[in-house]
Amino acid sequence: MWFLTKQFAVRRYFTHCLSALIDLVCGTKRWRTSEFVLASLVFVQTHSLQDLQQPAVSSKVYVQRDYSSGTICKFQTKFPSELESRLDKQQFDETIQTLNNLYAEAEKLGGKSYLEGCLACVTAYTIFLCMETHYEKVLKKIARYIKDQNEKIYAPRGLLLTDPIERGLRVVEVTIFEDRSIGSGR
Amino acid sequence: MPNSAGKRFKPTKYIPVSTAATLLVGSTTLFFVFTCPWLTKVISPAVPLYNGLVFLFVLANFSMATFMDPGIYPRADEDEDKDDDFRAPLYKNVEIKGIQVRMKWCATCHFYRPPRCSHCSVCDNCVEDFDHHCPWVNNCIGRRNYRYFFLFLLSLSVHMVGVFSFGLIFVLHHKEKLGGLHTIVTLVVMGIAGLFFIPVMGLTGFHMVLVARGRTTNEQVTGKFRGGVNPFTKGCCGNVEYVLCSPLAPRYVLDPRTKPHIKIQAPFIRPDLSDKQITIKVSDNGIHSTIINSKSKGSIDGLDSKESQPPLPPKAERYNQLKSQLTSSEGENCSHLTPPHFTPDRHHHQFISAFAPENSAILEEGVRGHDYRSEPNLDLPEYANAPLHRTFQSSPHQLDSDPVNSRSLSLKQGPRRPGKGQLQALPPQTVASTPYKGVFSPNTHSNRNGSLSYDSLLNPSISPASANECIAHRGVPSMGFHSPYLPTKMCHIRETEVHRQQIAQTYSPVMPPRGVGRQSPHFRDREPSPVRYDNLSQTIMASIQERKEMEEREKRQMLHGRSHTHIYAQDSGMFDGGYGLPNNACFSDGPRGPGSRGPTPPAYGGSRDNLIGVGLVSYGQRTPVLRHAGSTLGRAPRTSSTSLHTDHSSTNSSQSRAPGHEGPYRSPAHQPHSPAVARSPSYSHQKLSYISAHERTDSPRLGGPRYES
Repeated sequence: MWFLTKQFAVRRYFTHCLSALIDLVCGTKRWRTSEFVLASLVFVQTHSLQDLQQPAVSSKVYVQRDYSSGTICKFQTKFPSELESRLDKQQFDETIQTLNNLYAEAEKLGGKSYLEGCLACVTAYTIFLCMETHYEKVLKKIARYIKDQNEKIYAPRGLLLTDPIERGLRVVEVTIFEDRSIGSGR
Repeated sequence: MPNSAGKRFKPTKYIPVSTAATLLVGSTTLFFVFTCPWLTKVISPAVPLYNGLVFLFVLANFSMATFMDPGIYPRADEDEDKDDDFRAPLYKNVEIKGIQVRMKWCATCHFYRPPRCSHCSVCDNCVEDFDHHCPWVNNCIGRRNYRYFFLFLLSLSVHMVGVFSFGLIFVLHHKEKLGGLHTIVTLVVMGIAGLFFIPVMGLTGFHMVLVARGRTTNEQVTGKFRGGVNPFTKGCCGNVEYVLCSPLAPRYVLDPRTKPHIKIQAPFIRPDLSDKQITIKVSDNGIHSTIINSKSKGSIDGLDSKESQPPLPPKAERYNQLKSQLTSSEGENCSHLTPPHFTPDRHHHQFISAFAPENSAILEEGVRGHDYRSEPNLDLPEYANAPLHRTFQSSPHQLDSDPVNSRSLSLKQGPRRPGKGQLQALPPQTVASTPYKGVFSPNTHSNRNGSLSYDSLLNPSISPASANECIAHRGVPSMGFHSPYLPTKMCHIRETEVHRQQIAQTYSPVMPPRGVGRQSPHFRDREPSPVRYDNLSQTIMASIQERKEMEEREKRQMLHGRSHTHIYAQDSGMFDGGYGLPNNACFSDGPRGPGSRGPTPPAYGGSRDNLIGVGLVSYGQRTPVLRHAGSTLGRAPRTSSTSLHTDHSSTNSSQSRAPGHEGPYRSPAHQPHSPAVARSPSYSHQKLSYISAHERTDSPRLGGPRYES
C-alpha cells in the first residue's frame, strides 16, 4: 500500500509539474486546459491505480477441523464448494494434507519431545526463555509453507489462506477475493 | 461482569493464590532456616540439598501453572461467525473414533467448542482440554499447563512429605527442648504440612487416576464418560506419556505480528472447467438426484454443501415479481416455452447439468413428452445445438436466482404466455447479472445455515418452464455442470412435471405438480384432470423412489463425517417437514418425494422419523429461548407429514389445496423460526405458492395441487 501511495503521490506531483511546464510554454490562458487534461490523466491513472489495489473480499470459506482421530490437529480435506470455481481439488487436497502432516509432526511424541521435557525439568523451565520448542519450530515451518502456497497457488487465483494458528488451530480460513476482471463479481 | 466493561481488579480472586504462595514459601523458608542447619550437622548436607531441589521444582511448576497460558482460544472473527447466528443449533455432533461427541456453541467466543474444550467463567475464555480452574494458582488448567500443574502436585506432595519427616526427626531429637524457638518453628511447619497433607495428597491421587484414565477433571466431574467409552484415551501408558512427554502446545493468543503481504491481483487463474466433471445435485421434491460423473466423485461433497445453500431473500422478491406477472396473464394459452430473456446457454447449463443416469429414465419421459407437445418448443432445437460447455459465469445468474430464477423461468415459460411480453418486460440483464452478484456472496455465507428448507420451499414452485428447458436439453449429451449454487434444487424431475404441466397448459406454473411425477407423455393432451395425473405416476414414482433411496443412502454416508452442514441439513429438513415434500434440500431427509401415491407416504413418514431421530439430538437453538422449540420442531414434522399425507390423498380427489392445510404445515416449522428473521422471505414464498395453487383451482388444472411447495 505504501508503494502504491507513493506512486500516486509521485504521479500527482509529476502531473502538476507537467501542467506548470505546459503553462509556461503555452501561456497562462492554456493553464486550465492543460490542467484539466492532466487532471483527467491523473484521474485515469488513479483509477488504474485503484485497480491495482487489493481486490475486495468476496467471501470467506472455513475448513474445519477433522476430529475423527481424536484431538490431534487435523483439518478436513473436504473440498469446499465455494472454491470449486477457483481452485482444483487436487491442489487444495495437497495443501491440506501437507498441513495435516506438518501438524502431526509437531505433535509427535518422540525422542525430541522427551529430551525437551527433561531438559526443561532439569533447568526449572528456564530453558524456555532461550530455546524454541519443537512445536514452535514446526509452526514456523508451517507459516513458511502457507506463505509459499499463497504466493504460488492461491494468490494467483484470488484466494488467500490464513494460518490456522491465528484462529486457534480451529479452522483454515480461505479468503475469496472478488474477481473484477471477469465482471461477474464472483 | 461483561467483557466489554473491561476486567475490573478483583482482589478477592487473589486471596487463595496469595495464601498458597505465602504458605509454601514461608514454611519452606522457615524449615530451611530453623531445621536444616541441625539436620545438616547431624545427618548430612544432602538433606538441605535434596529439600532445596524439591522446593525449587515445586516453585518452578507452581509458577508455570500460575503464569502459563492454559490454551486459551482467541475469540472467533466476525466473519467466521456470520453464518452461525441464532439459526444455528446449539450443539454440533462430531464423531471421534466412532463415538459421538457433542460440540457446544460458545456464545462468548463465537465458535463451536472443540472437543474437550470448555469455557471458564472465571477467566471468561474457552480453554483447550479444559481441566478445571484452580483458585490456588488463580489460573485455568488446560492443555498447555496441565503437565506443570500435575508435576506441581506431585512435587508438592513429595516436598510436604520430606518437610514433615525431617521436621519430625528434628522434634524427636529435641524433645527436651520443646520450648525452644527452633523446635516451635519446626512444630509449626510440621503442623502446616500436616494440615495440608490430606487435601494435597488427595488431589494428587485424584489426578494420578485421571492421568491414567486419560480424562480431565471437567469430564470426570460432569460424568461425561460414566459408563461409556472415552474416545480420548490412549491406554494407561499412552496417557501418562501424553501428559508428561508431549511437546509443549503453542499459544493461540498471539501478539499481533506483521503478516507477510501477499499481493492479490486480478485477473485470477481459473481451473479448466471443461476437464472437470461438473456435478450438480438436483433435488426435487424430496428426490435428490446427484448427477455424478465418474471423474469427480469428490465434487459430490461440494454439492452436498451446496445443496444446503439456501436461496436468498432477493430471489424471493424476484419470484414474487414474476409471479405477479404470471398470475396477471393467467388464462392465456401459450405453449411457447421459450424463456424470453434467457440465453440458450443458460438453460443448457441449468438443466443438463445434473442428469444422472438414474434420472435419465425420467428425463427421457420428459423429453418424450416434450416431443409430443402439440406446439413444439421452438427454442429447443436451439438449445440442443448450444455448446455443451459453458463457462461458469454464463449460467450464474440463472443459478443464483436459482430458486427464484428457476421459478421465474417457469413462470415465464408458463403456458400462459401472453405474458410473454410481460415476462420479457423483466430485464434479463438484471436477472442475469445483478441477482447473481447479489445472491452469490450472501449465499456462500449462508451456506452453512442450512436453510435448506427455504431453498426447497422456493424450489417447488419453480418453474415448469425450467423443466421444459431441462427436457429440451435432455437430448443433448449431458455434461458435467457445476453450479455453485445448487440452484437447481429444482430438480429436473420437477422440470418434467412442469413440462407436462405446460403441455397441459396449466395456468400456474408456480406449483408444479409434484407428486405427479413426471409423466410428460400423458400431458400432451393438456388435460387438467387430476386423475390423469395419478395415472402417470406409478411407474415413474417407483423409479423416482428408488433413486431417492439410493441417494439417501449415499447422503447418509456422507453425512457422517460432516458436522456443520449435516446439522444444518437436518435442521432444514425438520423445517421442511412442516412444508411437506418439496424440500429436497435436506439430504438427510427421507424420501420426500412427491409422495402422492400410496407407497410414498409411509416411506416418507418413516424417513422423517429417521431424520427426526438423528436431527433432534443435535438440534437445539442457540438462543435459549428457542430451546424448547427444538423439541417442538422435532415433533412438528411428524404432524406435518401426516397432514401432508392426508393432504395428498385429499388433493387427489379435490383439486384444490385447502388453505387450511397450510396452517399445520407451516406452523410447526414456523415457531422456532420466528426469531430468525432471515427465514421470513421463504415463508412468504411458500405462502405465495400456496396462494397460487389456490388460484389455480379456478382454471383447469393439470394435476392436483399437490405441490407443497
